[in-house]
Amino acid sequence: MQARSRDYRIRAREILSGAPEVRDAVTRATRTFDTHRVGAFEQIDAERWRAWAEAVKSHLLMNLDDYLVEAEARLQENGAVVHWAERSSDVHEILGRIVEAEGVERVVKGKSMLSEELGVNDFLESGNVRVSETDLGEYVIQLLGEPPSHIVGPAIHRSVDDIRRLFHEELGTSLDADPDTLASAARDALRADFLAADMGITGGNFLVAETGTLALIENEGNIRISTSAPRIHVALVGIEKLLPRLSDLAGFLQLTSRAATGQPVGNFVSLIHGPRRGDEVDGPEQVHVILVDNGRTELLADEHAWEALRCVRCGACLNICPVFRQTGGHPYGWAYSGPIGSVLAPGLLGLEASDPLPFASSLCGACSEVCPVRIPIHELLLTWRERMVRNGSAGPFEKTAMRAFRALSARPGLFARAGRALGVVPDGLARRLPVLGAWSAVRAPLRPSPKSFRALWREGIE
Amino acid sequence: MSREAILARVRAALEGRADVAHPTTFESWGRETQADPVEDFALLFAAAGGEVVRLETVAEARAWLADFRAAFVGVVVGQTVPDGLDLGLAVQRALPEEAALGISLARGAIAETGSLILDARDGRRVQLLPPTHVVLLARSTMHRTMADAFEAVSGDLGSAIGLHSGPSKSADIGQILVKGVHGPGRVVALIVEEELA
Repeated sequence: MQARSRDYRIRAREILSGAPEVRDAVTRATRTFDTHRVGAFEQIDAERWRAWAEAVKSHLLMNLDDYLVEAEARLQENGAVVHWAERSSDVHEILGRIVEAEGVERVVKGKSMLSEELGVNDFLESGNVRVSETDLGEYVIQLLGEPPSHIVGPAIHRSVDDIRRLFHEELGTSLDADPDTLASAARDALRADFLAADMGITGGNFLVAETGTLALIENEGNIRISTSAPRIHVALVGIEKLLPRLSDLAGFLQLTSRAATGQPVGNFVSLIHGPRRGDEVDGPEQVHVILVDNGRTELLADEHAWEALRCVRCGACLNICPVFRQTGGHPYGWAYSGPIGSVLAPGLLGLEASDPLPFASSLCGACSEVCPVRIPIHELLLTWRERMVRNGSAGPFEKTAMRAFRALSARPGLFARAGRALGVVPDGLARRLPVLGAWSAVRAPLRPSPKSFRALWREGIE
Repeated sequence: MSREAILARVRAALEGRADVAHPTTFESWGRETQADPVEDFALLFAAAGGEVVRLETVAEARAWLADFRAAFVGVVVGQTVPDGLDLGLAVQRALPEEAALGISLARGAIAETGSLILDARDGRRVQLLPPTHVVLLARSTMHRTMADAFEAVSGDLGSAIGLHSGPSKSADIGQILVKGVHGPGRVVALIVEEELA
């Protein structure tokens, strides 16, 4: 996809002033997701799970070459075809070859952010292949011609009324249909697509090197059907999605589900090893796994920012983020939004294309506190800000603020005290302080809250 | 070639970097469980929207199935469901895409997540396309943890395994829960104390 991150400010303003209902819908949905995560984390020793998961993913990444070779060998032994793609054009070429050789006319898809990143739908449709998104939320936004607004809930920015009107036009349901009726209409339309499709395309939550197990988590069953009914299954897997061992998968399936939706595990998990065998009555005749780089090796080489590659795409940092909650994911302008999108974007797209995403944050640090693989997201946001400032793409206010903030945030205790202290700084003094002075020179005096933002956010502000 | 180029870039990226050791095996730290893992399974499976039926003997299971399936027009039965359950001739057979009811045998189950372990050899469409799905489970195949279950199946992973922990559901329409979006909207775990084979 063509990233449009540079328009972040314009598009955020458009949503906030032109479509205030988006803010309400996104805030409600993300708060629900986060409440479920909190409940699910309370049932486990979450700190121990997070530390474990961080270590597994870091170990994996620091030995990625060996694990990639091992995964490839296991997949091939299981009868799957393994492809390697350096960039999106390679993925298009591989898909084009399969479509051509197998006479593929219709494709059903499971939700895959990597497929958004790679522009797979546009490519296939340009070759006259009919593509149906089958996740209910993805189906809604495909009909609307919109990109996903959230990694886990792609249509969270749309209300029931929006979807009623859409399905009335597209599927002929009544304008007062209830959600069950709407879902049932989508089910009927998509069931026909499942049974007619030549190929199913999915992403991959995890790929276990030890066994060649491709794992996919979901709740609707559309991924299970996409990988079971069509005669060809193609999985797009980022090279960072590997896990060393099958026993690791047991932890990651549960931790990811708890972080994403608060479930012990998603209602459906597919563990795929290869095409159907001689004694089986159904299943795909071909399974293709495309291992995708698309900037990931460059990010791996970055001695600070590589940690973002541990991401399991649970969306927990989006759900807790006070900035994401105002607009949803659209202003971020590419597949991954919110805090994690803002640290992946500079790494995968480059500094120029991703400015000003790292600045779209209050740096409250809530993202880092909820991350199931302990990516220091807010520190990486600062790292990218610094690099953008050095690169000359940030304004003078950001440059001054950066230096002060870096000094404070390097010492969490001092940061917390500074936050509390701001609440009691007299106006006269505030004008003479750096940063606060710069602010006050052209604005009414700041009236800091008696409680710091960190304190309020922990308590759950409305 | 992309393969060599990607591996070369990974190796160059990792040149001189400190290794991180693989930690201890995952152990579900802090998770409280009950003495009987079937109780944990039943609680979680029901909380996720599924139904649980517990029976003592194969004869009881046979009678329960005969009664239950009478309400459905068109039934499809998985390849691995044992003959002893007498589903062979008595069932009005249908294709999975037309059947109202699918009946499967689980390879096992996972108590800590409330998951049924379904194998592709049972047939995939029977597990996914009918609106109602009944899954038979022998109590002896219940595993306490997912790690235990994966260890048990690791010697024979087959071509695909599905973990089903409840009905098909979605909240994509305005955060309101709907069931039966694509897969079965109703799923019943039929747990039998006796061996089923």
